[in-house]
Amino acid sequence: MGEGTRPSSPWEGCVTGIEVVSSSYHQTPPFPLSKYEKTYIQAALRELSPIRADGRSLFDYRSTALETGVASLANGSARVNIGKTAGEESGSGAEVIAAVKLEVEDVLEGEGVDGGRIVFTVSCSPAAYPHLSSTALDDLSYDTTIILNQCLSHPSLHPKNLTISPRRKSWSLNLDIMVLSDSGNVYDALFLAARSALWDAKVPKTRSVQYQPKSNILGDQDVEMSADGSGSIFNTREVAKAADFELADWWDEGEPLRVNREWPVCVTLNLVPAKSLLMYFADVTPHEEASMPLRLLLLFSFSPSGTRLRSMRLMGDGEVQLESMTLLLEGGENHAKKLFEALGKKLEEEDLRRNQKAQVKFDLR
Amino acid sequence: MASRVEILNDGGFRSDGRKQYELRDIVIDLSQQGSADGSVVLSHGLTQVSASVFGPREAKMRSQTLHDRANINIEVTFAPFSMGERRKRSRNDKRVLDFASTIKATFEPAIQTKLYPRSQIDIYINVLQQDGGVLQACINATTLALAAAGIPLLDFVCAVTGGVQSASPLLDLTTLEENDVPHLTVAVMPRTGNITLLTMETRLHVDRFEEIFQLVTSAGHVLHKEMKAAIKDRTRTLVAAMSVAPKAVGEKDPLYSERMDDS
Repeated sequence: MGEGTRPSSPWEGCVTGIEVVSSSYHQTPPFPLSKYEKTYIQAALRELSPIRADGRSLFDYRSTALETGVASLANGSARVNIGKTAGEESGSGAEVIAAVKLEVEDVLEGEGVDGGRIVFTVSCSPAAYPHLSSTALDDLSYDTTIILNQCLSHPSLHPKNLTISPRRKSWSLNLDIMVLSDSGNVYDALFLAARSALWDAKVPKTRSVQYQPKSNILGDQDVEMSADGSGSIFNTREVAKAADFELADWWDEGEPLRVNREWPVCVTLNLVPAKSLLMYFADVTPHEEASMPLRLLLLFSFSPSGTRLRSMRLMGDGEVQLESMTLLLEGGENHAKKLFEALGKKLEEEDLRRNQKAQVKFDLR
Repeated sequence: MASRVEILNDGGFRSDGRKQYELRDIVIDLSQQGSADGSVVLSHGLTQVSASVFGPREAKMRSQTLHDRANINIEVTFAPFSMGERRKRSRNDKRVLDFASTIKATFEPAIQTKLYPRSQIDIYINVLQQDGGVLQACINATTLALAAAGIPLLDFVCAVTGGVQSASPLLDLTTLEENDVPHLTVAVMPRTGNITLLTMETRLHVDRFEEIFQLVTSAGHVLHKEMKAAIKDRTRTLVAAMSVAPKAVGEKDPLYSERMDDS
């Protein structure tokens, strides 16, 4: 169904690659598109050998740039840009910054949950959507936040090391994503950035400390304080039990967040309205997105124990035949796998690059 | 725990290794962001700010248009990860709105709005990282973005912060210094020397004011040189891209030589 030429790796030529692409197609089109332009774009895709405006094949991802460690004040961060081409004259792609910040929460008194919790927030910068009013922008931010939260809230995806003291204090992980510019395919960028920021995040090592007051005036009464602060049955008085923690090393960033293997990768499949055939493609530009709003978001996670479909969401106006779903899922899985492998390699490369940078800097001193 | 960090030690060095009157490293990146007419990512040391300018274009809300000039609309967003502790500021937070209106007041006299009646100039500022001097960075970024967008300005607007640490003036303060020391921000239009912004939220002795004010204003002139060089560089690249046809040896592009020689 129109796979065309072998799809190139999304990371091919990233950042250093130079592509000559008409820059107007990187810009958000003034909405709405005229009917004629929509049919023009759709008709080109329905050809025997589908044609896209920038010459890509149906599953040719634009070159994607990924950088971790962009926000130095955050516990982990990443910046993803799909479609940014090197060179001064072309537009920038869909750019997204994600940052992880850890906050201490009290399980007993505050909002904390034993085992920690993750909260995703997406905010869309007005520079990314210049044609939207501020209320519409807020709505869009809210909708995107909901989608992200719903797709990624399953307990099996939860990182394991967010507890400080069991049942007392835990880390609350706030993943804030900011959309800086949107030129199509922003959901893929959001999920990529989320995964990369979580990969990059480091949880500070903590050590439980217990405040033990001096023995009380009643003499030899044993004040039993167990490690989890539950106290002894011999306590007849309210004794101050301060269960607290301290940072083990204040210069060390901490240990990595244990979440890596299972975290899913998102693939957006855009469906072409066609009477009998099923046609779909990926990595849209704004014009394509405006003319074909129906799309399917698929989140796959790949692990040694198998592939799992984590989440699925059909968005936009239109309908899909039930029989087509299997084809879509298979196709989506293939592309997601490639994306997952490429992302894994890139993240490892980023780790190396940053460790190297730190070492080089140190040597220079 | 280490003892309190000294703002200015006996050797004349500050907490980040700078001297008293030394400004932080400036990084100006004028590459295009999204579909903005002009955009810039500016860093003063660790403070990073991005500004995008759209316009002059048709106003989104007719009620906001002015019959004889363009309406300037400034929106500032602080990224939740920009500060040490995460803080999510809503768009209608009083401090944020106040911040935006300060910047707007700074640019009212500088932008030639009379040339574009009934239209709107939108300036969107994203504060990505905060380490002191945020207002200064936002103003400088706005100037650069406006220049990159080709909007006629009367002059650059360059802003610098300055503070006084027990009779010693300091320039371009970091968060650590801002929390400790009375400071002010001045925005100056270098060609005429006119001041479009002077703001101070802490208490400063009136005898100290004159000195720090003069210093900050002259620092603004120094910044002006850097900003001008960055804009010239960018324009040079664009002009080179425009003149695609190869030139004969010795033949000069008249557009290039005419404009580039002006300093």
